[in-house]
Amino acid sequence: MTASRVRLTAALLALALGACAGPARERVDGWSGVGAGETVVVGRIELVPQLRKEEQRIDALNSGSFEKLVYLMADDKNRVLNDEPKTADFDGRIEATLEQTFFVRSSDHPFYILGGVLWLEIGRGQNKAYFPGGLRVPVKTGDKAVYVGTVRYYRDEFWNFSKVTIVDDYDRTNAEYRKKFGTKIPLRKALLTPVK
Amino acid sequence: MKKRIWLVLSLLALAAAAGCASSGHERNINDPTNSLVFGFVDMDDAPTSISYASIQQVAPPTEEPYWHLSVRKGIFYSAYLPTGSYQLSSFGGSGFFAGEHRYNFPRQGNQTALRIDRPGIYFLGSFKYKTEKSGLFEVGKFSMQKVNKPTEAELLKRILDEGSGVKDSAWRDRIQARLKQIK
Repeated sequence: MTASRVRLTAALLALALGACAGPARERVDGWSGVGAGETVVVGRIELVPQLRKEEQRIDALNSGSFEKLVYLMADDKNRVLNDEPKTADFDGRIEATLEQTFFVRSSDHPFYILGGVLWLEIGRGQNKAYFPGGLRVPVKTGDKAVYVGTVRYYRDEFWNFSKVTIVDDYDRTNAEYRKKFGTKIPLRKALLTPVK
Repeated sequence: MKKRIWLVLSLLALAAAAGCASSGHERNINDPTNSLVFGFVDMDDAPTSISYASIQQVAPPTEEPYWHLSVRKGIFYSAYLPTGSYQLSSFGGSGFFAGEHRYNFPRQGNQTALRIDRPGIYFLGSFKYKTEKSGLFEVGKFSMQKVNKPTEAELLKRILDEGSGVKDSAWRDRIQARLKQIK
């Protein structure tokens, strides 16, 4: 819960924090942006029930850049985020639009999804929903393209998450992948695994 | 000049806050589908007392999710809420030295989350404001600690006696019935 003087607007704070974070894993649409020792990580984030339009209220100049966007915090080492994520926790994040397949460039080493953040409100106040993490992305050295699955988050109207499942939607995703990246390099299936 | 600018800003902020809090929901106090939702917050340790509050309807979906709550000496309540899911959204108030303050509740992990399945009287609880540690450049943080006093019965009596229009409405019998039940 936050207390603030009204004149210090939440919108400014949110934008200032956003501006300080390091770069996200770059979205790619073809091989031209992918170098040696890099792999394309392909996956999807879904909410059950889906995000309703009125659940997200972004009153900022660049409001479109927050819409349905989940910031997945990622790191080479698994850690548990007990508190509000620090700005540095967003370095190397995956920016995943809900219900859309993401294609991001990454090193060809395994990494971990530590958790996710979705902005629910910027303007009247600032409010976020935090998604659970603890998922391993099993990329192997030499991988060029890896399908990690659809992460399906089940929640109630108060944003309590009750279940997280990894869904194998390879066939549909592979068709999308082939349209963007061609058929020369196959998309290897390596579904996310929960960290024990 | 500077003082005048601050006055204007404060008034604008106040107007904006009031505008946001105003629900735009037109319901009759005697509507049998209304629920009474209420609670109390002790703001002795907060920068300001509260003069306005709002509760957010999170289900069913609506374009106007914020409902204005009546506030009186720490009590906050609405006697107009239809069935649905709600949680406190914000409080606000001002102090001579502290200025205008707004206290925001999270959408996730909100301890005041409430599902109203059928019309009735719902007590969110009595709370005490507690300032939490925050960094130098962070927004101030607070928590709401649940306390035993005032009790549901004490607050209902106050709402009945002091609440605007409550005594002369259908709520009188419903509150009295509830008071008998929890005696």
